[in-house]
Amino acid sequence: MSRGRYVGIDAGSSATKCVVLDVAGDMLGQAVVPSGFDYAEAAAEALARAMAGVPLARRTVAYCVSTGYGRKNVRGADRQVTEITCHARGARQWYPQVRGIVDIGGQDTKVVWIDGRGELIDYRMNSKCAAGTGTFLESVAVRLGLPLTAIDELAMTSTARTVLNSYCTVFTGTEVIERIKAGEPRQDISMGLFRSIAARVFEMSAVRDGPLAATGGVVAHCRAMVRALEEIFGAPLLLPPLPQLAGAYGAALLAMELAGAEPVRAAERTADALGAAIPTEVRV
Amino acid sequence: MSGTAKRIEIQAAQRLKTLMRDYFLDLDEAARDPARRVAWCTSVGPCEILVAFGFATYFPENHGALLGAKKISHQLIPYAVSAGYCAESCSYMNSDIGAAIRGVSPLQDAYGVGGPPKPDLLVYSTNQCREVQDWFNFFGRRHDAPVLGVCPPTHLGDVTPAHVAFVRGELAGLIERIESQFGLKLAPGKLEETVARSSQASTLWRRVLETAGARPATLSFWDGLIHMAPVILMRGSPAAVAYYRELLAEMHDRVAQGVGAVPKERFRVYWEGMPVWPRVRDLSEKCFDLGVSVAASTYCNSWAFDEYDGGDPLEWMARTSISIFINRDEATKQAFLLEMMRRYELDGIIFHNARTCPNNTNSRFGMAQRLRDRCGLAVLVIDGDLSDQRFFSTAQTMTNLEAFVEQLEARRRPACAALVEEVAP
Ligand code: SF4
Repeated sequence: MSRGRYVGIDAGSSATKCVVLDVAGDMLGQAVVPSGFDYAEAAAEALARAMAGVPLARRTVAYCVSTGYGRKNVRGADRQVTEITCHARGARQWYPQVRGIVDIGGQDTKVVWIDGRGELIDYRMNSKCAAGTGTFLESVAVRLGLPLTAIDELAMTSTARTVLNSYCTVFTGTEVIERIKAGEPRQDISMGLFRSIAARVFEMSAVRDGPLAATGGVVAHCRAMVRALEEIFGAPLLLPPLPQLAGAYGAALLAMELAGAEPVRAAERTADALGAAIPTEVRV
Repeated sequence: MSGTAKRIEIQAAQRLKTLMRDYFLDLDEAARDPARRVAWCTSVGPCEILVAFGFATYFPENHGALLGAKKISHQLIPYAVSAGYCAESCSYMNSDIGAAIRGVSPLQDAYGVGGPPKPDLLVYSTNQCREVQDWFNFFGRRHDAPVLGVCPPTHLGDVTPAHVAFVRGELAGLIERIESQFGLKLAPGKLEETVARSSQASTLWRRVLETAGARPATLSFWDGLIHMAPVILMRGSPAAVAYYRELLAEMHDRVAQGVGAVPKERFRVYWEGMPVWPRVRDLSEKCFDLGVSVAASTYCNSWAFDEYDGGDPLEWMARTSISIFINRDEATKQAFLLEMMRRYELDGIIFHNARTCPNNTNSRFGMAQRLRDRCGLAVLVIDGDLSDQRFFSTAQTMTNLEAFVEQLEARRRPACAALVEEVAP
């Protein structure tokens, strides 16, 4: 097997994540940067940051897999793999027993079910609607004039069983304002918001048996999200050490496997082979 | 990826273009000729009766599909909604009503005609859905034309002699009402002749579809969407029979020469449900690039009827009209799908959950889960709509399709799991 690095880049709609693995599968570096308007640039930036801690002489890239909404825009990737497969792969590496993965991202949410061998069985993504995504939370946070972290902290102090009844982002915003006017405690409304997302996720998930892991930026930053998901799924969730990096980690693991499965592509290259993808300062 | 091999076009498509032009020009002429009459009919309605009476037959659902394919449905639907029709009701119906309100029709540019021909009569059958009843009633009021309907028993398991007798009675009643309303008399032998031709075209169409059992599949669902037009619009005409003879011969040549719709066919799948008309091209190209042949579908098979044996034509029509997939219960549908999976040796099935057509959507009562869990099939459900592109997310659907292929690849690669274990830290 090659001595180079295996790179996974998850070009998500809100954030671009990168994971670099060594030949043993150990994580050498990782980074999260905003995706902005240019996925290619964001990917290059994420790769540069993830490689920053790797000694210059060891920045050789053996294989790169890109994933996520902007996966086709990542320059120099050897292969594109969907975020569905990558999230499943990443989560399974952390938790071999995992059967379900709930990923709540900026603009899409997915639920993936796998069997004991890691093969996909069923997968769902939210349809054309922000309800159940990070964008939904952000838009309500803006209406409340509070940062997301504050809403999360408030929610964690709630002891009520408040549930919001609206289905869509706009109506939920209105409902939140109405409840504030009616004098309902803010911490309960905040927790209700997370329950609202959890309910959307639960609806689309076609629940199956087996341990469930939660990944994605919202889970990474909001403890109340985990609480709401655990309430509705009725079981404790497996929480990976780096929830937001599950897709990129899975992509990097698949890069290792594909490099092994495709010897031609596995030939060790200097970073120049990925030319455009690697910014000048980290080229070997 | 398959991508590189070139797509080989179906030659008969040229002939089809002429056939379609002739059909629409003739309809236009019929609408303007005081000596002729035009009848509107639902796609699996009793059109043989209308043809036998000499009506030029027009099918509004085809117009709905054209509006979808032209990507203008979503601009027209608001006009139907403002006229009182729910935005989530059939987008064929809504866009057709909206098109009439706005005076818009793809037929104008395509054939230089003013739009759909003015009807003298509208005839529906609720064997497919109740929406057609309301759709036809809208146009009946608009054109001050009579609307007649057949309302057969629906969602059948077994089709019993009692069901057939009941529908036969309805069809006989329809004939009587047309005769008295228009002062016409059905010529002896005319219905038999029309039904025989209809059945011939339908049987030939079935045989065309069956050639996709070859590897690679001779034609795909995407091709079928184009080439099924005559079996709907021209049922009962000699032109449809001639067309399918020609198409079948070409498909047989394809089998002999190993020509396929997707030359580098990697996977063969089934499409359950309506097409996503505004995105047919994108989806077909995506499948082509992924090496996926959509070798069989419910939709294209909806007009592949049983053969007419020369007996009572009304009985054949009655039986046929209630035996179609859309008019059956869940268990019969599931058995049909499993049989198709087996017969065409398919790797998986894609369900289209069409937002505005519950009638042609079969993933809403647990079917997808049952096929996945009990039958072990690879199943994908995509959300979309037949005509209203606002219900369809291209990026998410394409990701789902790619994930489906990754799933199919993994199923063929048992060593993959071992590989995963090997690299685990
Ligand atoms: S079957 Fe569906 S698409 Fe066809 S007319 Fe009825 S509701 Fe519309």
